[in-house]
Amino acid sequence: MTQRRSYAVGTGLFIVLGFAALVYLATQTTSVANTGQGASYTVDAQFANVGQLKPRAPVKVAGVRIGQVKSIELTPGHEEATVKLAIDEKYKGIPDDSVATIFTSGLLGDQYVGLSFGSSKKSLDEGGHIALTKPAQQLEDMLGRFFGGGSAPDRIGGTYHVTGHFTNIGSLTPGATVKLAGVPIGSVGKVMLTNDKLDAVVTLDIDKRYDQIPDDSAAAVFTSGLIGSQYVAIQPGGSPDMLKDGDQVVLTQSALQLEDLIGKFLVNGSPSDNKNNAGNGQQSPSNPQQSNPPAPGKK
Amino acid sequence: MNARIERNGVVSNALAQIGACALFGLTLLGAVPGSFRHFRETLRQVWFVGAMSLTIIMTCGLFVGMVLALQLYDVLSIFGGTSATGTVVAIAIYRELGPVVTALLFAGRAGTSITAEIGLMRATDQIDAMEMMAVDPLAYVAAPRFLAGIVAVPLLTVMFCTMGVLGGHLVGVSWLGIDNGTFWSNMTATVDVWKDIVHGVIVKSFVFGIVVTLIAVFQGYTTPPTSEGVAYATTRTVVASSIAILALDFVLTAFLV
Repeated sequence: MTQRRSYAVGTGLFIVLGFAALVYLATQTTSVANTGQGASYTVDAQFANVGQLKPRAPVKVAGVRIGQVKSIELTPGHEEATVKLAIDEKYKGIPDDSVATIFTSGLLGDQYVGLSFGSSKKSLDEGGHIALTKPAQQLEDMLGRFFGGGSAPDRIGGTYHVTGHFTNIGSLTPGATVKLAGVPIGSVGKVMLTNDKLDAVVTLDIDKRYDQIPDDSAAAVFTSGLIGSQYVAIQPGGSPDMLKDGDQVVLTQSALQLEDLIGKFLVNGSPSDNKNNAGNGQQSPSNPQQSNPPAPGKK
Repeated sequence: MNARIERNGVVSNALAQIGACALFGLTLLGAVPGSFRHFRETLRQVWFVGAMSLTIIMTCGLFVGMVLALQLYDVLSIFGGTSATGTVVAIAIYRELGPVVTALLFAGRAGTSITAEIGLMRATDQIDAMEMMAVDPLAYVAAPRFLAGIVAVPLLTVMFCTMGVLGGHLVGVSWLGIDNGTFWSNMTATVDVWKDIVHGVIVKSFVFGIVVTLIAVFQGYTTPPTSEGVAYATTRTVVASSIAILALDFVLTAFLV
């Protein structure tokens, strides 16, 4: 009889444990964990473009979640999406001239609605309307504005070679483009490591046509696009003397680790890392802060 | 010519097995109400096939979660997306690995023992003896095990998933240094209770529970009454269960996604 009883107790324990685990999974590891909110009031806003915004996406003020997107509808006959935002009752007092913007959390993250406060004395109420909105930024547009693509020019006129020392060239490879003012003027010849200083020596093969580059110009390793290839950008200086064959570019700017950069701007902010900056005029390969390991992602 | 006949033989054998199994399942369903009188027996079977399998299920779940986190971190770090590790671990476990691996382990751990036990009862004429005593062996032997399996597999799957997520957390957060808050908030932002928990964990594990236990009981109940027959039936339980689980997994996924 006692043995039977222990079966019953054990089985009961097993079943209870199983259901407890189910409740845990369903409520703690899924989006249900985010929806547990009390009373809320609804305001709406018109956006020209909602991008990938989805219902139940968070609504944030100063990065803090204050509610969620209730619904996204397209008004028939209008080229604008009406987004209804359910905001927690405890966050009353949002000025009615606040600006609603659709942001992306991180690079590949989901989109959310960010509210930045206006200065109006009146605050939003149930059924209120946010008049000022900014549509979702299309990352492609943004990047297209900053970086231009381009291929290496042919070397009909012959090239001359200058070298530059970089503490970190990222994934720059021989054959990459050298650009000045966004225009391809040459290509990367060789990439080597110096034995004594442990920095990278990059040989730049620059077209002979472009021989009017001041010798205090700076060379920087940039990335074209987000996951594009890297190239060397020359930023002209003001010296009257020009770069000649065999010269060395003294001012260099190492490759920025895109992850760190984005982490700094888009996510919660990553630990500070001082990048070598062409503007500070220092080429200091011994600075330990610059030798970031290529392993990304530790935020 | 011979080869063709043989192949036909294999195919028709398999078809005959599936058909016999399905018919047996219907008969078994008819015997289920009769088994409610043997509630204690059902409870004992839940204990045996369910609670006793917890150790292997939870250990395996933990390791599956850990290895998933390790592999994903490695791959995702190429894209700088290591913060998605928790999300992917959870989704992979909820949708596929949890139900499938649990059902496979269950077939190996409990299905075989069900087949061997019922098969030996058959081989040693205990089942015939029950019929002689006017005890319905389907209601007393087969149905309690069948019910126990249906109860146990979903619960075991949930335990597997829990341990998997905790294992992923252990490796991802404690070892590889993903931020704890990022790990959970990314997971809760993406994992959906309906699509991942209900469709993935519950529906799949329920179907797998029915199929695996039905195959195990069927193989045991219809085994040839020899020691060789019992051995063969036990093997077939594992083989048939594995194929059924993986094939059904595809079909279910195709319907549920």
